[in-house]
Amino acid sequence: MKGIRKKRKPMSKRTKTLLLMTLPALILFVLFNTIPLITGAFYSLTNYRGYGSYDFVGLRNFADLFQDSRVGKSYLFTFKYAIAGTILVNVLSLLIAMGLNSKIKFKNTLRGMYFLPNILGGLVVGYIFSFIFTYIIPTVAKALHIDFLSNSILASEKWAWVGVLIVGVWQTVAMNTIIYISGLQTIPADIYEASAIDGAGKWYTFRKLTLPLLLPFISTNLILSTKNMLMVFDQIMSLTKGGPAQSTESISYLIYRNGMDGGQFGFQSANAVVFFVVIVAISVFQLVMTNKKEEQL
Amino acid sequence: MKKRSHLTCLTLAATISSLLLTGCSSTSDSDGKTEIRMIQYKPEAVAAFEEIEERFNATHDDIVLKIESPNEAMTILKTRLIKEDYPDIVGIGGDINYSNFLDAELFMDISDFDGISDIKPSYMQIEKDLEFIPQDGVYALPYVANCAGILYNKDMFEENGWEIPTTWTEFTDLCETIQSSGQLPLYFGYKDTWTTLAPWNALAVGLADADICSQVNAGNATFAEGYAEVADKMKKLLDYAEPNPYAYSYNDACTAFARGESAMYPIGSYAVPQILSVNPDMNIDSFTFPANENESDNVLNSGVDLQFSVMKECENKEAAYEVLRFLYDDETIQIYLDNQNAVPCKQGDFELPSMLDGMKSYIEADRMSDFHDHHYPSEMSVDAMIQTYLMDESDNAAETFLNRFDKEWNRYNRDLIEKVKKYEEGLK
Amino acid sequence: MSSERHSVPQPPAVHFKSADEIKNDKDSKSNILLTIILILGCLTILFPLYMTIVIAFKSPSEMTNDVAGALSLPKSFSLDNFAEAMRVTDFWHSLGNSVLITGATIVLALVIHSMAGYAIGRSMARHKGFKFIYFYIVSGMFVPFAILMMPLVKETAKLNIDNMFGVIILYVVFYMPMNVMLYSGYLKNIPLAMEEAAEIDGASTWKTYLKIIFPMMKPMHATVAVLTALGTWNDVMTPLVIMSGSEKTTLPLAQLNFQTQFGTNYNLAFASYLLALIPILIFYILCQKQIIGGIANGAVKG
Repeated sequence: MKGIRKKRKPMSKRTKTLLLMTLPALILFVLFNTIPLITGAFYSLTNYRGYGSYDFVGLRNFADLFQDSRVGKSYLFTFKYAIAGTILVNVLSLLIAMGLNSKIKFKNTLRGMYFLPNILGGLVVGYIFSFIFTYIIPTVAKALHIDFLSNSILASEKWAWVGVLIVGVWQTVAMNTIIYISGLQTIPADIYEASAIDGAGKWYTFRKLTLPLLLPFISTNLILSTKNMLMVFDQIMSLTKGGPAQSTESISYLIYRNGMDGGQFGFQSANAVVFFVVIVAISVFQLVMTNKKEEQL
Repeated sequence: MKKRSHLTCLTLAATISSLLLTGCSSTSDSDGKTEIRMIQYKPEAVAAFEEIEERFNATHDDIVLKIESPNEAMTILKTRLIKEDYPDIVGIGGDINYSNFLDAELFMDISDFDGISDIKPSYMQIEKDLEFIPQDGVYALPYVANCAGILYNKDMFEENGWEIPTTWTEFTDLCETIQSSGQLPLYFGYKDTWTTLAPWNALAVGLADADICSQVNAGNATFAEGYAEVADKMKKLLDYAEPNPYAYSYNDACTAFARGESAMYPIGSYAVPQILSVNPDMNIDSFTFPANENESDNVLNSGVDLQFSVMKECENKEAAYEVLRFLYDDETIQIYLDNQNAVPCKQGDFELPSMLDGMKSYIEADRMSDFHDHHYPSEMSVDAMIQTYLMDESDNAAETFLNRFDKEWNRYNRDLIEKVKKYEEGLK
Repeated sequence: MSSERHSVPQPPAVHFKSADEIKNDKDSKSNILLTIILILGCLTILFPLYMTIVIAFKSPSEMTNDVAGALSLPKSFSLDNFAEAMRVTDFWHSLGNSVLITGATIVLALVIHSMAGYAIGRSMARHKGFKFIYFYIVSGMFVPFAILMMPLVKETAKLNIDNMFGVIILYVVFYMPMNVMLYSGYLKNIPLAMEEAAEIDGASTWKTYLKIIFPMMKPMHATVAVLTALGTWNDVMTPLVIMSGSEKTTLPLAQLNFQTQFGTNYNLAFASYLLALIPILIFYILCQKQIIGGIANGAVKG
């Protein structure tokens, strides 16, 4: 079978057509992603403020980057957040997707509900959750004598990141759930029938059938959620603005705040370039791992 | 052909992109009239500027004035600069953004504008102090100012017979009196880090030299010395505020003050509309922060909230001056003042908003000094550093903070300090 | 590199039943316990939603910091805030622009991204070049927007597309990595058999794509449409910096009117956010039907 499919000829007509099909995407991508990226990366070698004149500073920005404790702290925060967030989001969204995909009552209403967090604007999310963390939870905690929660966790240098994480996960789960739901649709029901006839248990069916067949979606979701979590920005802007005591400054927040609002465009471009390389490395690693898994099956 | 300095990119791809980017943008005049385009950064004043625009256009046949008051105006202004789509006049705040724009040589020297002599000298001096390198000429006209100090609940003060404090000791005594009556003296919204700057600036103008930042840049002073007392008093204020102020936002603090949960609120006059939106009947007045033991040493914290600069690229200087003349007409200023709580920078008999009554004597005596943070680079995030310091409960917190202040200052201002050095060497 | 799983011929036109249907066959009773758990989970969404709605009806003077006051019902359920919010945001115009931008982005995404996703997904296992293109495009997802922003502002201005059209094009590029990834991932679960049969019958690759693949990817089209819409609908930054020269405004841009440097009108803002939420929610519910029903319909045709 293999031999028939493998076309070793230089460029078959089909390959040409397929290449043509990617062309519109490729052209747009080069124009509006690669070229501006290279232009931006060029600024990382300057002390450009975003306007006016600038000087070349060589690799000074990169040298500074590795000595800047604020940047270092932001990497620690971002990775702590992203690892916890990616795991939580994927476990939760897979569970919710399977739940919403089963035979349940109010299916459409529930599906609509779980979609909502993702479309509430940043201002609403920021206000509501700040209120919950600042007023509601401490009030409840005091009534129940839970000391740990009797102060707003958003005001705690140690725990504020958990507050941001809760909101971040709450908002992102919807997106990954949608992808898992559509993934579950691609699994032919016959397979379940067959496994039911074989008398396989639910856990066994999940592990041996659902999970492997969902792998392409798991790998997509892993990458998307890793990316979303690593680039956390909106939740920081609406909940903590990097505080308290600079404990929740994410990399994206620093790049935006100091690069755009502040006058550090050149330096933060260097930060963005390094960050880009780091995430690409992580994602390629993820892709290679999940691809290997897929091929083993 | 205009010089396009930042299109001379060296890398290959940048060249490709610059090929793409060398188009041409032209500003069109409508029916032979001269068009003056202005962007101002206070969207809350849009109604006032719409009226000003309308009046101007009704009285001028040869000039068309177009005023934009966009949201996120500073971002939009920066994108315009990138596009090289320059307005003729910009209305911005007298802060580090102005210093940077000026340093980037974006503005025109308008020292021959005839209205300058009508502007209060103290505000002209504040503008002058914002220049990184002392410039010849005038590049900004201050329009209105805001003041910061302490807002207080007038009714609460009257009911309890509390006196307005004029010295630091009187102030701390008052706070203790209020506390012992079972009420809260102060409320802070330190969750929003920028609010830490309100009491910080108000204390700093009284306790530190107004030009401390330039002194440090020139290597003649350190913040560790200059700000020691400011840092110390900042921390003392915490004793008189709600516990854990880092949990509450600016908005929470405004609401709390409006609801009478505290007697005073150390913030600027700009917070008054938000407070009144929660409690429209509230009686708010203000007083200058009594930072010193000697009343005569106290200085009111006041800075330029809105100023106008003419862009270098403006092709019709005369028309722009005509617009400025109109803006500085007493009647026009009054339109603005009626719409916004503000202190006019022009000399003359204007009616001040009532919540500034307590600061009036300072304004009239010209005992004012600019917000120190107008000189801080925003990327240094001094507000967040202050919050970090306030949360640091160790014994040497102040030392850690002030040393960090000096260290980071030197790093973030490295290029500037070098520039200043070169300039001073040139003078010798 | 093995593409074995793809090439195992499967009998065409097997009757695919979705998981929904099979569960129906087994036991038509719905799972009550699961329903209850999911409803409990919903409380984490209903509670914030309740607060949003209550605040949207209150006036600024009803805002307090105490819990009971914040959770209490508004004095009256008048629609004044909604009417005022619609006036301030010039609702119908802004909505029109937002719908236009999001709609056009989705249409272009479905055409351009599905085509690229198909081409890449079908050949990356065999062809190093496509594999490279795949990683090249997917890596674009990780570029921080802040570094692209200024160069893009300049580029769009010089190309004279610093308007809605430019925003649409940029969105097509921003969501390309995710969508290409989704499409090519989806294809892994669609057997090659039908395409092969069509090719043996002499159909060209184009024709196979248009007649067989494109309709079959309907559930993924719906997914892509929803996810793309999610990203574009609430986005402030791109239209803010790109369209800053034009008079046009989108809903999120108009909603900035409720926030100034020193004050926010939460009541009007929340009313406005609730209004803005309705169109996208309806769109999602419509798409959701396509995601679910899709695969069965698409497959039987083959």
